[in-house]
Amino acid sequence: MPANEMSVMDNKQAITEKQETTTAWEPKITAFVCNWCTYAGADLAGTSRMEYRPNVRIIKLPCTGRIDPLFIIKAFEKEADGVLVSGCHPGDCHYTTGNYHARRRWIAFKTLMEFVGIDMRRLHFSWVSASEAIKWVDLINNVTDEVKELGPFVEYKGLND
Amino acid sequence: MIRGSWFDSRFTINDSRNTNNDMEKALRQKAEELLEKGDVKVVLGYGWNRGKTRTTPVFITKPEDVEKLVFNPLCVNNLSLYLTRQYKDIQALGKPAIVAKGCDIRTIAVLIAEGQIERDNIVIIGMTCNGVVYKQELWKGKLSDDIMPTKCHNCDVRNPHLADYIIGDAVDFMPPEEPSGMVFDKIKELDTMEQDKRWEFWMEHFARCVKCYACSKICPLCYCERCIAEKNMPQWIETSAHPRGNLAWNLIRAMHLAGRCTFCGECERACPTDIPLNLINQKLAKEINDAFGYRAGYDEKEHPPLIVFNPDDQEDFIK
Amino acid sequence: MSRIGVFVCQCGNNIASTVDTKKVAEEMSKMPGVVYTCDYKFMCSAPGQENLREIVKAQKLDGVVVSACSPHMHEKTFRKACESAGLNPYKCEISNIREQCSWVHHDKTKKVGTIKSIDLTRMTIERLKKNRPLKNINIPVKKRALVIGGGIAGIQAALDIADGGIEVILVEKEPSIGGNMARLSETFPTMDCSQCILTPKMVEAELHDNITIYTWSEIEKVDGYIGNFTVQIRKKAKYVDEQLCTGCGECIEKCPFKADNEFEMKLNKRKVIYTPFPQAVPNIPVIDAPHCVKIQKDKCGACAIICGPNAIDFKQKDQIITEEVGAIIVATGYQLMPNERFGEYGYGKIKDVISGLQFERLASSSGPTGGEIIRPSDGNVPKSVVFIQCVGSRDEKKGVAYCSKVCCMYTAKHTMLYKHKVHDGQSYVFYMDIRSAGKRYEEFVRRAIEHDGAMYLRGRVSRVYERNGKIVVQGADTLSGNQVEIEADMVVLATAILARDGADTLAQRLGIGYDKHKFYNEYHPKLRPVETVTGGIYLAGTCAGPMDIPDSVSMGGATASKVLGLFSSDEMSREPITAIVNRAICNACWDCLNACPYSAIEKESENDRHGNILRWLAKVNDGLCQGCGICVAACRSKCIDLQGYTDEQVYAAINAF
Repeated sequence: MPANEMSVMDNKQAITEKQETTTAWEPKITAFVCNWCTYAGADLAGTSRMEYRPNVRIIKLPCTGRIDPLFIIKAFEKEADGVLVSGCHPGDCHYTTGNYHARRRWIAFKTLMEFVGIDMRRLHFSWVSASEAIKWVDLINNVTDEVKELGPFVEYKGLND
Repeated sequence: MIRGSWFDSRFTINDSRNTNNDMEKALRQKAEELLEKGDVKVVLGYGWNRGKTRTTPVFITKPEDVEKLVFNPLCVNNLSLYLTRQYKDIQALGKPAIVAKGCDIRTIAVLIAEGQIERDNIVIIGMTCNGVVYKQELWKGKLSDDIMPTKCHNCDVRNPHLADYIIGDAVDFMPPEEPSGMVFDKIKELDTMEQDKRWEFWMEHFARCVKCYACSKICPLCYCERCIAEKNMPQWIETSAHPRGNLAWNLIRAMHLAGRCTFCGECERACPTDIPLNLINQKLAKEINDAFGYRAGYDEKEHPPLIVFNPDDQEDFIK
Repeated sequence: MSRIGVFVCQCGNNIASTVDTKKVAEEMSKMPGVVYTCDYKFMCSAPGQENLREIVKAQKLDGVVVSACSPHMHEKTFRKACESAGLNPYKCEISNIREQCSWVHHDKTKKVGTIKSIDLTRMTIERLKKNRPLKNINIPVKKRALVIGGGIAGIQAALDIADGGIEVILVEKEPSIGGNMARLSETFPTMDCSQCILTPKMVEAELHDNITIYTWSEIEKVDGYIGNFTVQIRKKAKYVDEQLCTGCGECIEKCPFKADNEFEMKLNKRKVIYTPFPQAVPNIPVIDAPHCVKIQKDKCGACAIICGPNAIDFKQKDQIITEEVGAIIVATGYQLMPNERFGEYGYGKIKDVISGLQFERLASSSGPTGGEIIRPSDGNVPKSVVFIQCVGSRDEKKGVAYCSKVCCMYTAKHTMLYKHKVHDGQSYVFYMDIRSAGKRYEEFVRRAIEHDGAMYLRGRVSRVYERNGKIVVQGADTLSGNQVEIEADMVVLATAILARDGADTLAQRLGIGYDKHKFYNEYHPKLRPVETVTGGIYLAGTCAGPMDIPDSVSMGGATASKVLGLFSSDEMSREPITAIVNRAICNACWDCLNACPYSAIEKESENDRHGNILRWLAKVNDGLCQGCGICVAACRSKCIDLQGYTDEQVYAAINAF
């Protein structure tokens, strides 16, 4: 069986299992993706009728270079249980260098988030190209499952009280 | 190390606070000369407060006032703050000379790199330095390792770089290879903590934040006409002193200083609730040095590292 | 309060089978600012769009959300429909509930899909409320084109554009146009003489009213953006007045000094005042200053003495010419990999080991031997010639990973040329694979083998050395499994095609991308092969990668059609997704300027009425800005924002989840 079919099958199985055991809580995952690679990759997952966990809500930006750490912080403030950031692979940026800028920013931001004690299983960074629908599907499933296992982001939500 | 001897022999503040040491004499001479010749219109320096218990910024515009200038281990402030756009009244005086320790010059270098000052439009009077006190209240007339801040223990600019004039004898001091001292020890400790303990540590500290923005007001590199914290369309940072907004503010403040902070330590010194901001700033400074080989404030021509990139930048977390 | 209409598309059953579109529409109608909702079978159909238009008008909508397929699919369609109904097109947003919802969540109870669609649509509605009406940007276009490189690709591009009635500046760094093609003897697969088909084109370019040629010139600086480039061209001193020179060539005759002949691949010497070849265009000689005794030592001056019209001018200086153009075609061509890298093949040590281009010159009737194939070492006719292919190509270790594409074909041609001239000669070809894809190409290679008796050996050559006046070639014949040793009189290396030295510098000047081999990057390798990511700059010929003459010519023609298309109207219109500066609070820290990949941010001063500078601030050049938003994330005080993706829009979307 080709790899992608397998992955789709696995997902189907996994999803039905999940649905059976689903309790009331479902994680909320905000994804910031670039228009040219990851958004198109997610579209391809759709046109290929792949299946993945429904917890993610995509916010489309032109480029990962446009993604400000403020977005991620705000997403957590708005009770996201997990945040995902994704764009073109290094070297493939539609704007030639946007993801290189983003990568530098993320290296610093990830260090900072880790240092203040954010569980990095709640903040994911990825490169997904326009052709990597399977990677997108796996990524969303993995992130969703990981966050689901962690449970609601009570630490951050606790700041609201 | 000659730190002890230098202060013992030339700077005995208990006996005669008004006595000019050699450095002060040279400094006043230089300031007088610059003002008289009209090379500069104002000298930004340190002077005594009324009770002579601490130093305070002074702005000397007349040659006859140069006697007000002092230099000693109480000269903690980073005067480069007054070169920034917030201080338009000082800018209006005309071309300034600034009395600056090596650490202050690092900040000036960043300000030049970011187009906030033109190198030709200031005169830097670099002061060789054996360290300052961590807090002015700790001063008992003699400088010792235990009352110096971490930055002084690790200082590699005791002989100022980029200065137009250097006042004082050359200082022979080699900083340790691995940064050490309270700040770095604490960073190491936090790094080895469990992640949830780190979270607790910081949430405890941030909970005290009263959003007075003293950290930003005193930071010479927080020179924005409008701080992101003041932006309300949209309101990225909540205005009230509330844990959620406090965290956002402190994260963004740190990000905005990443790769730019020169560890002058003024933010932490100014914080009325003692949030250990140096920890965050230095953690990021170290990461940026490790990742991009960049340390802020040494080259006034280099762009800050977070607005440039190298296609070969390495990381292991972007999947 | 907004007046937003929400249109939920069923997409037949594509959406409706897993999303309760009616429910989505119903839920959305409860949102503040939403005054109309519906669900519909096919929103993109003609009646669907008509319906949309009517409702926009009837309900006086000030915003439209279409929950349907990916915006990559129909955003333009719906924005156009809105525009024709009188609504600003940028007040229409798409919520992607097909590719990113109904197609990836197969829950037939429709629960999952409906919940997600509601979220996605709500986020889009909130985002839309922050949309500002935007106007497409119109940029005036300067209808002149610059072609860099006067090889066959550049000539073709220049001719096609000029024939379209557009003025063209053709810049060539050598003393004559013609490029590498002028060096070739015959061309595959038709075996027509290269100069016979090239020189008429060169002359046509020279005589064309719309073409200005600057030879011996290079690009110094490029400013501006699509439609409005300002280019500085360095016209190097020729020391010959082009107006006065008649091209009689007496100076060349009289010049007593010689230097290596680059055009003949250093197979012979040329004079110090020279034209590269007799049919040079323009037919005006240049003085090779480093070798000229008059210029270096103030002696000689024979050329000046003989020159009737007094065209020699030793005092001539480089000139900088500024040209304003609307489009630039880059056709800078290739060079061969230096053979010296391949010591095992004896190049540089053994005189009769030569490169493919050197063989072309030997075979060319206008070449140094008048078309006679003889050994450079002793002038004897070689009775056996070994051709080694893939010298540097497909060899990641010592050369380059890619295939140079033309070597298989020209080697076959070489064997034929050799056979036609040396009837009793025998040629051998060491090859890895024969790549002869192309019209009449495979037949051509078969002809070389079957008709002209070229001996093809599949394998690599391990060593080439001299023995008793012969060149011994040792190699493997992997098909028979034997080691072979051939005593040859001449060895020809098919060396790899490289990007030109300095290709990277030019790319940086132009602001276009290049790969690790310094070949220029296409906008899209398949669908936009002649465009670069920088608007208004196009690629033709081998500067984009190895290719043969027909490919280069087609690419030249394709760039011309792009340029003529661009110039078909006086103004060009583009999406207004550009950065915008809040002038009141800009700190002039230049983070945006330093981060921008397009140099689209400029420094602007605010002056008092005496012209004294009060402050500096950043300014976005709409023509250059591509809307990536890197500057926005870099700006600490957020005084720069990206239209179409403003902070407010993003914030609203995050908030609505």
